[in-house]
Amino acid sequence: MTTVNQQTPTPEEEEAQGALARYLHLQKAEGLLAPLITALLAFLIGGAVVFATTKSVPDVLQTYRAIFEGAGLDWFLPWNTCQDPCVPAIKLEQTLLVWVPLVLTGLAVAFAFRCGLFNIGGQGQYLAGAIASVIIAAELPLHVDLSPVPLVLLCMVAAMAAGAGLAAIAGFLKATVGAHEVITTIMLNWIVIWVGTYLFGFEGPLQNDQAKEIPVSNNIADGAKITQVGVWGHPDLQGLPWISLGVAFVALVIYSLLLNRTTLGYEVRAVGFNPEAARYGGISVARSYVLAMGIAGAFAGTAGALDVLGWKFRLDTTDFSSTIGFIGIAVALLGRNTALGVGLAALLFAALQTGTSTRNLDPEIFPPELATPLTIIIQGLIVLFVGADIVVLLLLRRLRRGRRAGAAA
Amino acid sequence: MSRFGERMPQGWKAVAWAGVAVGVLAALVVLPPIGFRNPVAPTIIGLIALTIGAGSFIRGERRVGAYAMTAGVAGFAIGYLATRSSVDKLDAVVIWGALFASTIRFATPLLFAALGGLFSERSGVVNIGLEGMMLMGSFFSIWGADVTGSWTLGVLIGLASGAVMGLIHAFFSITLRSDQIVGGTAINFLALGITSYLYVRIYGTQGTPSEGLSTIPDISLNFLYDIPPDRLGGFLGDALAGQDLFVWVGVALVFAVWIAVFKTPAGLRLRSVGEYPRAADTVGINVFLTRYAAVILSGILASAGGVYLALGFINSFEPNQTAGRGFIALAALIFGNWRPFGAAVACLLFGFSSALAKSLQEYSLSVSTLFEALPYVLTIIAVAGVIGRSTPPASIGKPYVKQ
Amino acid sequence: MSSEQPLVLELRGITKRFPGVVANDGIDFDLRHGEVHALLGENGAGKSTLMNVLYGLYHPDEGEIRINGDSVRMSSPQEAIARGIGMVHQHFMLIPVMTVAENIVLASEPRHAGVLLDYAAARDRVRELATSFDFAIDPDAKIHDITVGQQQRVEILKALYRHADILILDEPTAVLTPQEAGELFGILRSLQEGGMSIIFITHKLNEVLDIADRITVLRRGKVVGTLPTEGATEEGLARLMVGREVLLTVEKEARAPGDPLLQVEGLHVRDDRGLEKVRDVSLDVRAGEIVAIAGVDGNGQTELIDALSGLRRIDAGRVLLAGKDVTRGTARKHFEEGLGHIPEDRQRRGLVLDFSIAENIALHDFRHPPASRLGWLFPRRLVDRGRRLIKEFDVRGGGPRTHAGALSGGNQQKVILAREIDRDPRVLIAAQPTRGLDVGAIEFVHRRLVEERDEGRAVLLVSLELEEVLSLADRILVIYEGEIVGEFPPTATEEELGIAMTGGGHQEAA
Repeated sequence: MTTVNQQTPTPEEEEAQGALARYLHLQKAEGLLAPLITALLAFLIGGAVVFATTKSVPDVLQTYRAIFEGAGLDWFLPWNTCQDPCVPAIKLEQTLLVWVPLVLTGLAVAFAFRCGLFNIGGQGQYLAGAIASVIIAAELPLHVDLSPVPLVLLCMVAAMAAGAGLAAIAGFLKATVGAHEVITTIMLNWIVIWVGTYLFGFEGPLQNDQAKEIPVSNNIADGAKITQVGVWGHPDLQGLPWISLGVAFVALVIYSLLLNRTTLGYEVRAVGFNPEAARYGGISVARSYVLAMGIAGAFAGTAGALDVLGWKFRLDTTDFSSTIGFIGIAVALLGRNTALGVGLAALLFAALQTGTSTRNLDPEIFPPELATPLTIIIQGLIVLFVGADIVVLLLLRRLRRGRRAGAAA
Repeated sequence: MSRFGERMPQGWKAVAWAGVAVGVLAALVVLPPIGFRNPVAPTIIGLIALTIGAGSFIRGERRVGAYAMTAGVAGFAIGYLATRSSVDKLDAVVIWGALFASTIRFATPLLFAALGGLFSERSGVVNIGLEGMMLMGSFFSIWGADVTGSWTLGVLIGLASGAVMGLIHAFFSITLRSDQIVGGTAINFLALGITSYLYVRIYGTQGTPSEGLSTIPDISLNFLYDIPPDRLGGFLGDALAGQDLFVWVGVALVFAVWIAVFKTPAGLRLRSVGEYPRAADTVGINVFLTRYAAVILSGILASAGGVYLALGFINSFEPNQTAGRGFIALAALIFGNWRPFGAAVACLLFGFSSALAKSLQEYSLSVSTLFEALPYVLTIIAVAGVIGRSTPPASIGKPYVKQ
Repeated sequence: MSSEQPLVLELRGITKRFPGVVANDGIDFDLRHGEVHALLGENGAGKSTLMNVLYGLYHPDEGEIRINGDSVRMSSPQEAIARGIGMVHQHFMLIPVMTVAENIVLASEPRHAGVLLDYAAARDRVRELATSFDFAIDPDAKIHDITVGQQQRVEILKALYRHADILILDEPTAVLTPQEAGELFGILRSLQEGGMSIIFITHKLNEVLDIADRITVLRRGKVVGTLPTEGATEEGLARLMVGREVLLTVEKEARAPGDPLLQVEGLHVRDDRGLEKVRDVSLDVRAGEIVAIAGVDGNGQTELIDALSGLRRIDAGRVLLAGKDVTRGTARKHFEEGLGHIPEDRQRRGLVLDFSIAENIALHDFRHPPASRLGWLFPRRLVDRGRRLIKEFDVRGGGPRTHAGALSGGNQQKVILAREIDRDPRVLIAAQPTRGLDVGAIEFVHRRLVEERDEGRAVLLVSLELEEVLSLADRILVIYEGEIVGEFPPTATEEELGIAMTGGGHQEAA
């Protein structure tokens, strides 16, 4: 079922196509301009929503400023003096705490995208990692005595394996029977959510041994908590588990290295760009699918482990309604699937998240209960615009008009 | 052979369906009212189902064979577990009439959304945003009924909100040719944000009004209780006598959709656009218009599911009320092979597992939670079990480019 | 079939341009009532474009269309259908999961009470039409269950159902077996008797002489002749089709070929639809020789090449690379056993356009040193190799880090050449290596291919261009409908090759 016969392109035609391809490539993989404009557009519309609520333009600006401060980003501003306790720093810590899992879930989506796969399962993979680390960190020490370092390492490994295994199921199904990964990953998400709710819910097998009236897991062993480790970095930001930040940075580096510096990354990218040429070149497309999903799942699983070991310290059933995996999709899309992009996009979304939380947003300026839905709206708009590649479309149209004028002459 | 005879599944497919029935029997044998409590029974019957399923699978009937194998395993498991619990507990959980009524109530929102998804996907546009559209219907119907004092207007406002979401999805997917899955995900985000925002703004912390809210009326069919024999009448009465208007609309809708999509020229054109838009274009069908209409319709139907959920079932709204039902509806659509009756059966199946989960709370809170995962497991099996055959509309997900 | 019949269709001065190419250049064409008028030409001659203009799928830049004397603007297929033009496309516009009747009545369905589809009426009408033109078809059969020949009849019925008086058939026998083609001709004659005027697009000479009343030959977008079938010969037509072009001769010394490096024995290969496309092909390519396979597109070359490079399943037969049996091998195995392959679709198969030149060059070797070690890639080494090859093969338009999509076609092809040749293959398969290239690039490719042959490689060239074949090859094999129908020396004439390529010398079913 092919389209009507096309003539093969002549040299002149191909030259023109080449220029266009160059431009598109720039926008697709490396441009920072398009994501910036997209985010700006989304904020503009978000601003319109705020305007509809507050009916005054200065209030809109105030709201955004309040969100900015709520995220603690004003700590970076040079004119900001910090008293004791340094409020912006505390808020910044919270932002960074949210940044970590967003980076990782963003990478989970981005890595799969690079292989041409849409990984919506970041949420399930994150939770799988969290569950695995709770089991290792809370249940295992009850039976086996382990010192902190191997315990934490084991947790991380288990979490990565859990996330990877879950995602690999989707990859495997796609590789063998061609099952669409969007459907399978969504289904797997919900399966993990319910299994987790079952495990730690009332009368669940892993419910807390002491507090039987709340659906919560056992607390993790003290040795597993990674906040206890060392003191370094800026004196203001001591409330942060630095290991988490470190892992996030390392993950970004690993992501970039994997994709650009290994044969595996070469295969993944080739399959993502052109599976047919990859096949022709001797690459196994099926294997790439499974590996790409597995690695993606490992990233997301790590996020789960870091959250549990870093500040959650236990899991309760409300944790299973978090949306971090889904925001990861927005992060990857906005960040154009590059390490730098994901890092920055994650910062934006983390700032949005903490900046609008009830604790941090000044209720005088904008009611915080409204702020969280506002964030979700802005996220939705970003995803919508990125999906339509709206900026590229507008620019393309202008380019085409220019070319047509040139050709007709 | 009569037309009906032609439609009966032939050969191994029939055998496999029989296997499914046998698997279900394995569980039924232990549960009330039969209540045969020897664990040997579900084991053997389950094994028979498993074997039948495997046999059919090997001989090429992969899809239904997989179902039979699953039914065998599941039937055995349920039957076996049932033998381990007390008769009283079982009787408390398995009250068939109430269970069936509950099934219908849980299934109806799914049904509307699945039928909506059917239109969109049959025209070639993937609609992951059913969840968001449903949510919009939920909120706006409650708000509408509250503000206008009439449930009919509430329903209409709810449906309108779904149509708007459908229009947005259509615009981005069809005109801008953006990625349809990303677009659907965005719709879900937006719907959640918009409904939560408005909910907090309008209803704040006290929640939607519970008294005085005009809700969709129930249709009272008490005459069902009088049908002999006593047991049957009791069952039918419990199951059907107190159901909501929308439930019956839903039932009618299944037939209506079937006729519309498979028995009318409009339906033929719709399906042609989803299968091979170029061919449809060359005979003069407007692909874009058809797809726009289908997607907007899917928005309306999906929101109808939400309307029933809020205004007919729960009678209130709270943020993220749909809690993933839109995705279950999508799963039901796929499970039902993009056909209205198939989707309806799938919705009943999923509805049953939700209903069972609810009544299992009597028995054990945690096991009931585990049951909630069942629809998703079944869907993965369905999607994976369709090996080789491409059952979705052939050109689904690919934007159409006119040359 | 008299020449006194009125003109039902006139095309005057039709010109259609695409970016960079003039597909139709001032074409005049007319059709008389009740005649079969064949449109003959090679691939790319402009036949399909002309018919798409007539059918309203393309808008002409210049020119006029007249139907029964009235000047019309064909704005869309709907309009063409309304004016009585029916088209049977080369790639059928049929929906596989729907029935014959559903496909035929789509968008003009008979109705029941205005709302419901009257399927019974549709079925009856289809039967009626089919029997009136004497062919059997089951209205309730699904398209994916019936044969290609029957599918074609459904396409014809679609046109008849909409009251077409003019029927266009685009390469209708390309997908048919000889018997099916014979049946088709019977149907066409019967339609003709019923007053239908038919335009028959083809490149097969024997068919044209069999079925047509008049023949118009197109070459490179222009009409080179319109003549009655009476008195026309295959040689004359072949000469018109192919024309006398400047032969691009390449300096070539005769060489004594060595051992066979590529041996193919009794190969049978099917295409994606299950049709057998390669029928019992056997050939040898020896070291130091260029063997060319000449033939019209669609006669099995693509499937043959796929099979030889490990990308397609071989149903029967054997393939040996330098003595090693690679029949069951994967593509990777073939490459590792010393095969080089320049694919015919450089953008879809040959290159990952979003990769850089250097990365593309590494496509076969990235797993081995020096490109990588134990999974760790050394991009700098890729870049170095890229730079070296860019210089050696004179690739213009960017450096090793430029991504391949930014290059022109000729330079893209050079990258592919560089990649394959640098790996020092024993056997080099080049499929349409100069398609879409300008003269300079063509010359370059030809020179390199001859160099490879001089170095002792076995080169298998598959080409649709006869000049290329004649100037490069040491031996020429002609493929027609999946079989090798003749072997020729490079001193053969174009007419000889042309006749063999189009099934000439064969008496097809009348």
